[in-house]
Parts: sequence; structure tokens; C-alpha cells
Amino acid sequence: MSAFRKPGRGAVNTAVSVNFTFDGKKYTGVKGDTLASALIANGVHLMGRSFKYHRPRGPVGAGSEEPNALVVVDRGTGRESVNLRATSVEIFDGMVARSQNSFPNLKFDIGAFNNTFSLFFPAGFYNKTFMWPKSFWDKVYEPFIRNMAGLGPAPTAVDPDSYASSYGHCEVLIVGGGPAGIAAALQAAKSGERVILVDERVKIGGSLIDAPNCEIDGKPAADWLAAAVKTLGKAANVTVMNRTTAIGYYHDNFVALNQRLTDHIANPKDGAPREETHRIRAGKVILAQGAIERPLVFNGNDVPGVMLAGAGQTFLNRYGVAVGHEVAVFTSHDSAYQAAFDLADANIRIPVIIDVRDDIRADLRAEAERRGIDIAAGQVVSKTSGKLRITGLEIYDPQSGAKRTVKCDALLMSGGWTPSLHLWSHSKGGIKWDADMAAYVPDVANENAVCAGACNGDFGIAAALTGGNKAAGGRKSYSVTERDFGTGVTLDSLPNYIKDTKQKAFVDFQNDVTEKDIKLAVREGFKSIEHVKRYTTNGMATDQGKTSNLNALQIASKAVDKPVEKVGLTTFRPPYTPTTFAALIGHCEGKLFDVKRVTPIDPWARERGAVYEPVGNWMRARYFPQEGEDMHAAVRRECVATRESLGIFDASTLGKIEVVGPDAAKFMNLIYSNPWSSLKVGGCRYGLMLNEAGFIYDDGVVGRMAEDRFHVTTTTGGAPRVFRHMEDYLQTEFTDLDVWLTSATEQWSVIALNGPNARKLIEPFVDGIDLSPESFGHMQVRTGKICGVETRLFRVSFSGELGFEINVPSHFGRAVWETLFEAGQPYDITPYGTETMHVLRAEKGFIIVGQDTDGTVTPHDAGLSWAVSKKKKDFVGRRSLKRSDLVAQGRKQLVGLLPEDDSVLLEEGAQIVADPNQALPMTMLGHVTSSYYSDALGRPIAMALVADGFNLNDQTLYVPMPGKTHAVKVTGTAFYDPKGERLNVV
Amino acid sequence: MLFNQAIEIDESLNDDVMRLSLSGERVRYSLRLKPADVAAAKKSSGLKLPAKIGGTSIAAGQTILCLGPQEWLIVALPKSREKLAGTMAKLSADYICSAVEVSHRNLQFTVTGPGAARALNAACPLDLSVDAFPVGKGTRTIFEGAPIVLWRTAEHEFTVEVWRSFAPYLRDFLAKTAKDRHMA
Amino acid sequence: MMLIHCPYCEEKRPEIEFAYAGEAHIHRPVKDADDMTDEEWSHFMFLRDNKRGDHAERWWHANGCNMFFNAVRNTVTDKFLVTYKMGELPPKASASNAKLPAAKKTGGAK
Ligand SMILES: [Zn+2]
Repeated sequence: MSAFRKPGRGAVNTAVSVNFTFDGKKYTGVKGDTLASALIANGVHLMGRSFKYHRPRGPVGAGSEEPNALVVVDRGTGRESVNLRATSVEIFDGMVARSQNSFPNLKFDIGAFNNTFSLFFPAGFYNKTFMWPKSFWDKVYEPFIRNMAGLGPAPTAVDPDSYASSYGHCEVLIVGGGPAGIAAALQAAKSGERVILVDERVKIGGSLIDAPNCEIDGKPAADWLAAAVKTLGKAANVTVMNRTTAIGYYHDNFVALNQRLTDHIANPKDGAPREETHRIRAGKVILAQGAIERPLVFNGNDVPGVMLAGAGQTFLNRYGVAVGHEVAVFTSHDSAYQAAFDLADANIRIPVIIDVRDDIRADLRAEAERRGIDIAAGQVVSKTSGKLRITGLEIYDPQSGAKRTVKCDALLMSGGWTPSLHLWSHSKGGIKWDADMAAYVPDVANENAVCAGACNGDFGIAAALTGGNKAAGGRKSYSVTERDFGTGVTLDSLPNYIKDTKQKAFVDFQNDVTEKDIKLAVREGFKSIEHVKRYTTNGMATDQGKTSNLNALQIASKAVDKPVEKVGLTTFRPPYTPTTFAALIGHCEGKLFDVKRVTPIDPWARERGAVYEPVGNWMRARYFPQEGEDMHAAVRRECVATRESLGIFDASTLGKIEVVGPDAAKFMNLIYSNPWSSLKVGGCRYGLMLNEAGFIYDDGVVGRMAEDRFHVTTTTGGAPRVFRHMEDYLQTEFTDLDVWLTSATEQWSVIALNGPNARKLIEPFVDGIDLSPESFGHMQVRTGKICGVETRLFRVSFSGELGFEINVPSHFGRAVWETLFEAGQPYDITPYGTETMHVLRAEKGFIIVGQDTDGTVTPHDAGLSWAVSKKKKDFVGRRSLKRSDLVAQGRKQLVGLLPEDDSVLLEEGAQIVADPNQALPMTMLGHVTSSYYSDALGRPIAMALVADGFNLNDQTLYVPMPGKTHAVKVTGTAFYDPKGERLNVV
Repeated sequence: MLFNQAIEIDESLNDDVMRLSLSGERVRYSLRLKPADVAAAKKSSGLKLPAKIGGTSIAAGQTILCLGPQEWLIVALPKSREKLAGTMAKLSADYICSAVEVSHRNLQFTVTGPGAARALNAACPLDLSVDAFPVGKGTRTIFEGAPIVLWRTAEHEFTVEVWRSFAPYLRDFLAKTAKDRHMA
Repeated sequence: MMLIHCPYCEEKRPEIEFAYAGEAHIHRPVKDADDMTDEEWSHFMFLRDNKRGDHAERWWHANGCNMFFNAVRNTVTDKFLVTYKMGELPPKASASNAKLPAAKKTGGAK
């Protein structure tokens, strides 16, 4: 047992040793220790280096508010967790932990030269220094900052752990398992409603464990707590979640909880979820988060061994660890005396309590006297000695000017308490300044939420219990025997005989912000506390200023000479404590990262080794490479086979919407730019959809299945927004129409057959449809059967060849596909993917919405004026098409481009200029939208949006590309079979 | 022709806490009516169309859910195919309405067991306690990335319908929750 | 994530089931559209109030009943004052929404 361990004290099990290493050195702690308590038990306070000056630091707190003791826990590749607070990390056997921010080691840190030159690193240092010259930023400044100022190193390997997330609901959510939270839970449990009580520590109890020296309803605190835990454990409607932090509080009582499941286990099962994020919707939220003690801002307050009084008390009572053998106390608040007495009663020497106040409560004086503790009233600590650990301090009496030194190996400090308003602030609850407490307390709630206990400004066990009970609707009053929590004072600044410039009085320990820095920021003109925060970085570290905000506020308030309540508090934002990204991602990684939709025919394509591309959420086969083929070779083969004989293509991803009702045609007339009334049943038409601004929004073939029924197809990626667009107009503009929309995308598998042998292939399989060209012409649709299955058979072509699109109910899709593929062998039937589909359509000059259009292209610009009705009185986009800008000359128009050098494939997106020799910056005329090598034409082809393109036919333009500028000739877009004769194959 | 729903369910999704099973072939229609016609259409068709959004009528072989104002999803066993087609045809002839067959659009799963609600809540934001989502309630909602239709048939039994291509995502999501549960 | 009361479902549902659909009660000119100047047309097309305070807006219960509806939401507090069906006028439920945009009847529930 180490010298600092106090057997019989604390809620740890000293019978079970736990071995771990810190910075490579072996240590032994006990079951129930945190890394911080175990190290302190071994006499180690030095646990980290500060962010800017790399000053040696030890823990200031004993919980999640800790600013200093940030560590890495290394559980192997990809499992290096950084920026963990040693005060919250539970040790387990074999744990490997490291300090951060130090090089080459914690005791000798090169970066500490920043400290020596700290005069040159004032507030706003980064803003002021790294400004010029610009070229230095990438090469000098940024690497320097990254080297010197980084927190823990992020792991570079993939995190092998699993993470979970879930939605949960309850009537009452209680955040914080101290006496207030427990009393609230006990009360709420009676209602039978769902109650969730969360606490970030290993077990609930809070101050009943940290400061157990009290009796509740005649029972020792520990007994009362044990009974309460049992009661809550038995209540079926109560869920107690330990190791769970409420990280954010959002609209309508939506609270995010982060539950740590395996970090405390030595050998978690491989694959066990490490954390779970619970997204809880609560009827009512009771915040019982307690209060955070404030440091005193004095010269030398950051030496390892200087810590909050409550932390010293917690280390003793919760972990059975003495923070030192000779522990001095410096306070402006009565509560620190409780810490001193607890330590003294555990046989730890308290050489002195230095109290900034002249008048000390008589009972405290008496109790101190009884324990032989010297009180230095009306005095302050003017400096501390020791670099890696405090060795002593100097007491200064501002009235007499007297100074004396006292030896110590730890110093407890207390500047009073700050109610924890973080989650309350997330919820946009109002706050008000309490001058007596010198702290903000909750004011008007913005949600169905209430604060109880210390976070409400009600200190002491009795107040917490009563407050918690009341928050849950109870009227119980608890009988509690406890020491009076007491009061304190707040001094604007502690007196010192040492010049300001020679002092190092830290406010924000993690970001190394001193009192001087805040004053400097104000002097330099930053008056708003939000600006002071950003300029000094006070409160911007991973602890979000839990221990520093109020001190900073008071210093700033004095510097700007405004009352604190006029200066205001900076905004708290989620998460309450640093949270792993993985916890936020939850299940949604790997194959659950996003939905990947595939068609019923997909497994066939996968077996054939298809190469895929994502289109919206769909994964589509892009091409089907054969042995040794690259994409280019595969696509050329697929194109040739389709044009010469027969290609088969899975078009199932096309969006499909069934438009049904007596007013279906009227609706179609309004939502598409072309006319629909004239389309006969059994006919198909290319539909062009505009948005209200007159720009092309979507397109697709539409078949009229009945007078009152249209089978609409949309682009693959456009289906969801087209459905929304249609519903929007139908529900809010064309409300007098009797028509309904039903999404049918996945009802149908669509097999597109293209090529001169398409009809021959399907003929034997089709029932009830006369396939002869006379009866079933191009742009017609029929219903019947194929392979014995119901079909909507479209005779359409997106390739320029004779084409059919066979719609069959989805779950028959693969079987029909395989039957046709088998039967197609005599025709060398060739499966092709989206790339070949794109080439074939480009050869015909058919556009792809979103590739050849970009949201600023009108039908006229795209050469589709023919698809805009001149007669209709209304359709979406009609009026906008007449806007002066949309009918202006010189708009970018879709043209074809033929590179003069027919070995050149233009880059899609490449810019187009008239004169390649003009001065820079050149005048851009437009850009290449589609570009392919066409086997059918034996040359490369491209489509482009070019200013005034329709008037540039046959002219030569230039496309600058990396290495060379290429001359191109402007043409029309119908490159191949412009008359469409190939559709007429018999 | 081979009817192929093309999805398999791993054994890990089958234990006492939660079991995911795929239903077989179903006949489905999306039916829309004008408000004024609902009463008469119900009577003439014999369809028990629930009046309120969220309502269901669950009978042997046929479930009808009211998903929106005068919007119903009818899910029936294949044996009712002809009869239901006839009913739809007659409704279409007699009333201004929309009946669209969507039999192959959806896949149907049942999620059963005491852990069913918790498993679904991994991705579904609704309160699935029996009080808030009682037996007989059905609704369109969201399952993280997948739109679903969800209804409760018993305290520990839900039916989920999902568009075909979203089914593997739903299955994989539930498999992940089952794996987490087995490992924890 | 907010809870939004859907006037069709008649219950509060989680925000992720919904999609925002822009300002409400914008009259889409049809008959007079051709007579409008481009300037006038641009007001319908592009100009919105972007109000600080009570804002009448449209939401779509996309993953629910599939209905578009109207709402008054305070853009400062981000709280919904009321939601109501398409075609209905915004209820003058409280003094705080007394200054709603001039309501035009632009849609009816089917
Ligand atoms: Zn709704």
C-alpha cells in the first residue's frame, strides 16, 4: 500500500490491485481508482503539459471538469483514445496510459521554452504573429502550431470498435445522480412513469460519496444511499444509467446521452459496442448536475499539487487517497474548511488555512483549532514554489505587508462554486446573476425542465434532497444533519506585492490564459465577453471553461468596468464533455453509412463482375469488363454489340410514379411543359419537367396506360425530388384536381433491350401483345405477358436502336432477365452498364438532366423547344420562360463538339474559348458537358454548353486542357442516325 | 417464373429476444378515395378501411392501414389476388379514386420478441412503448435512412414494410443491433 | 430535433419525418401572370420575407402522412405556435401571432 493510500477510506476495493503503466512506468492502483487517483496514490501529480506554454500540470479537479490532466489511453492500433481526463478514466489491469503535449517527455519538455518566452506569447498571439508573409503560412506557421499546440495525437488507423445508438423515450429524465437527482428519481419513480436517471460516474451518489459526513433521515449518508440505490434498482419503471454523460440538450426535451460501455473493462469482448448514444425524448427534464468549484486566481496557481478543495476531498472520500502529506488550504469560501477537516480527520497534516476574509465563522474557527489547524485570515498566497510539484508557498498579509513561507506538498483552493448551467443553456433556459453567490443561476425555463440542487444554486445535502424531491413533484422534507455549506466572497483580484508582469495567475489552465491576458484583451478593445473569449481563447479548450468561465468573467467585468450581469455569459454548446466521433456516428458506419440501393437484377450483375457507380443512393452497374478489359475497351465492345445486334441493360432504377385520376391528363399538362391531352392510351411521350423558374428539372418517358392513368418515369437520381415537386403542386396549387400520385419505382424491374435483334428476341416470350411494327410502333406502350409474367412493355429507345423497356413486377425481374439473356445467346446478347448507355444516348444527342444541364438551362437552351407547349395557358415554369433574361440572345446553348484531332477525348468540364491566344484571363464561352469516344462514328464526340452556341455552327473553338489546347468544330448534337431510321428495323 | 425476393436473414437475427423474419409473397394496393366517397366505397367494397390516419384493420390474410388522408395501404395474402383485383376494378369503375398495385414494391418483415421495440428504436425515432404505440397502430415513418411502414400486431410483435431496395439496409441495421446485444 | 404537430396525423412527430417547404401563403399568379412585368413576377419567384419572429411556412410530412401543411414558427425561439392544414387560414390563436402575413387561400385539403 502506497504512502498516500488511506485504507478504510473511499468507495474503492483496496483488496484488488490493478496494474497499469503511465508514460511507460509501472504503477499499481486499486479497483475503483481513476487514473488520477491511482497516480496520486503513488505520489504522482504531474500528469500533463499545458497547451500553449507546455507548463507542467497536475489534476485541478477530480471529475469531468478537469482541465489539466489530459491523457491518452492506448488499447492498441486504432484504439488510442486521446484527450481523456485522468480524473474520469477508470483504470483496469494492464492499462497503458500516456501524457500528452510533451516532447520528449513529461518532466523535460522542449516546448516549455514557450513558457520562458511567455512575455512574447500574449493574448491574441496567434492572431498577431502568424500573419505575414502569406507564403509562410503553409510551410512555417501551420506546422509550427500543429507541432507545438496539438492536443493528443489522433489515431490514424481505423477504429476497430463497434458503436451503438438508439432512440429512447421517458416521462422524466434526470441528469445527475447526486442527492438532488436521486431524490428526484425516488419521487418520480412513484408515479409509475418511465424515469431515466443518468450519471457520468461509475455509480450514483455524487456528493454523498465525495463528502459523506452527514446523516439523512437518521441514517448515515452511505446507508441512505445504499437503500436509495436498491429502491431505484427494484423499480421497473426506473432506468439508472451509469458512466453516461448527457452531452447535449436539444429542442423539445431531446437529450443526447453518451454511455461508455467497455472503456473500464480490461478485456472487453471483441466486437462488443464501446459506446452507445441514446437519443432520449423526455416529457420532463430534471437537471441535477451540481456545481463546479472555482479556482482562485493567484500567482503560481498552476503548479502540480495545487487543486480544488472539493477535489482533495473527493480523492480522499471516494478513492481513499491523500493528495499530499502536508496539505495547505487557500480559500475565499467556507466549504473549503470541510475539505480541510475531512483531510485532517484522516491524519493528513493541514499546516494552514489561508482565508482571504478577515472574519471567519466562529464554528469553523473552533473546529480548526480543535484539529490544530492554523488559520491565516485576511491573507493570501502570493507565490508558490516547486516546478513539477508544489513544495511550499508564501503567505502575504496585504495589511501589514508581512510575508512568510509554509512548506506543503499540496495546496487546496476554493474560490466558491459555480452552478453547472451547461445543459440548461443548451436548452435555451434563461439565467440570472446572483450577486451573493457571485454566479449565474437558472431563471425562466425554455423547455419543460427544472434545475434542482446545487445547479439551481441550492447548496448542501438537505437543499439538494428537498429540491430534487420538489422538482419531481414531491413535498417531502428531509431531515439532514450536515455541516453548514456556508458562504464565500469574491474578490476582483487577489492582492499581491509582486508586479503584475512577474505573476503567473492562471484562469484557464488548459489554454494557459492568465489574468493578464484577459486584461490585455480588454485594453486592446475587446469589450464583448464573446470577443474576449475568442481573443484569449479562455473557455475554448476541451473543458469549455468549466472551471474558468466565471473567473474570466469577473476579471473582464472589472477591466471593462461594468457589472458582471451586463457583461453576460458566453454560450455553452454541446457536447458537455469531449465525445468520440464514433459515438455521434453510432451504427451508421461501414455498410450502414448510407443506404445502398440495388435492383433485383443486381446479383446477376455482381456475379458477372460488373463495375459499379453510385447514382443517388443506387449502385448501378457501370460496365461489364471481360478478361483483360479496361473500362474503355469494355464500353466500346458493349456499344458495338448493341448497335450491331443486341444489348441488355438494367433500367430498374428509373423513378416511376403512377398518376391516376380523372384529372390525370390535366395534372400532367400543368406539371410538364409538353402537352398530354392529345396522347392516346397506349402512347408514350418524352416528358420535360421545368421548375417554376423555367429551367429543366427532370425528364423521362411517360406512357398513358388508360384515360385516367399515366406511367411516369423520372431520372434515377431525380425520383424523390420529382415526387415531392409533384405532390407539392398537387396539394397546394392544383388542389381542385382529382388525381393521385403513387410511387411505383420499386414495383417494376425494367429490362431495356436495344439493338436490331430486340424484337426477335422477345417475340417468343410475349403473350397478348402484337409486336409487329405496324401495330406496336415506336413510343408505344402495351400491357400483356412476358415469360408468363404481367408486363408493361414500352417500345422506346434511349440508344437510337430498336428498343423495348420491359417492366415486370420486381420479384420476377431477375428470372425474366436470365430467361432473355439465355435466349439471346444466338444474338450475342451483351449486357451493358450506365457508361455504354451514356455513350449511346450521346451519339443520339439525348441529354442527361444534371450532366448536360445544370439548373440554369431552359428547354430552348437544350434544343428542346419542341417539348414546350405554345398553347397551354399554364404549366410550371411557363411564365418564367418569358423573362427577358431567358429569351435573351447569347445564352449558353447545348451544341455538339468534334475535336479536330480525332485521337483526343475532351475532358468533361473543360472550358471553351474562341481565341486561344487571347490575354489572360480568357473569356470563357462555356464548358464540355459530355464527352465520349464513339465507335459508331469512329471518332470522339462531345456535347457542350456554349454561349450563343446555336449561331456558331461549323465554327472552330478551342478547349484548353492540361498540356495542350484542342481545336473543336461546333455541330448539332444528333451525331448518329439523325433521321432515326435505325428505329424502323423490321 | 421464379418469384425471388432476393434477401436472406442471418441466424443471428433469430433468438428469444428478437427475431426478424421475412414474409412471403403479398398482394398490395395503394388506394385513394375522395372524402365524400369513403363511406359508400367501404360499404360496396366490403373493405374495412380505417378512418383515422394511424389506424389499421388487421384480419386474417388482409391488413389495411390508413397512412394519410384517404390513403390506404392494403396488404393481402396471394390467395386474395383475384378477389382484390376485382374489388379494385369495381371501386375504380364506381368512384373517383386511385387504386395502384404495388405488390412488388415492398418487402415485409415481422420483428418479434421482447427486444423488438428496442431493436427498432435503434433507428426509428417513434416512442414504441405500448402506451404510445398500441397494438393496431400503424404509420409511415423513418428507420434512419429508410422510409418504412410500421404497425404493431402484438405487444412484442411488429410488422415492417419497406421498399424492396431498402430491405438489406433494414436487415443489416437490425443485425448490427443484435450483434451488439450478443457481444455486450 | 423538434417535435412537430402534424394537423393531419393530429399528433406530434419527430422532425426527421418532415421536410421544410418554404414560406407559406405565397400566391402563385396564373391568370394574370402574362400581364405581369418581370419585376412583378420576380416578387413571386424570388422575394421572401425572411422574417425575424413569427413566420408562416410550409412543412411536408414526407415520412408520415405525405401531406403538406402550414405552420407558424417563431424564427427567434424556433418554437411552433401553430400548425394548420393547407387551405386553412392561420388561426389567430394568440396575441403573439397577430401580425401574420396576409393570408390567401391557396390550397385545399383533398
Ligand atoms: Zn402527418
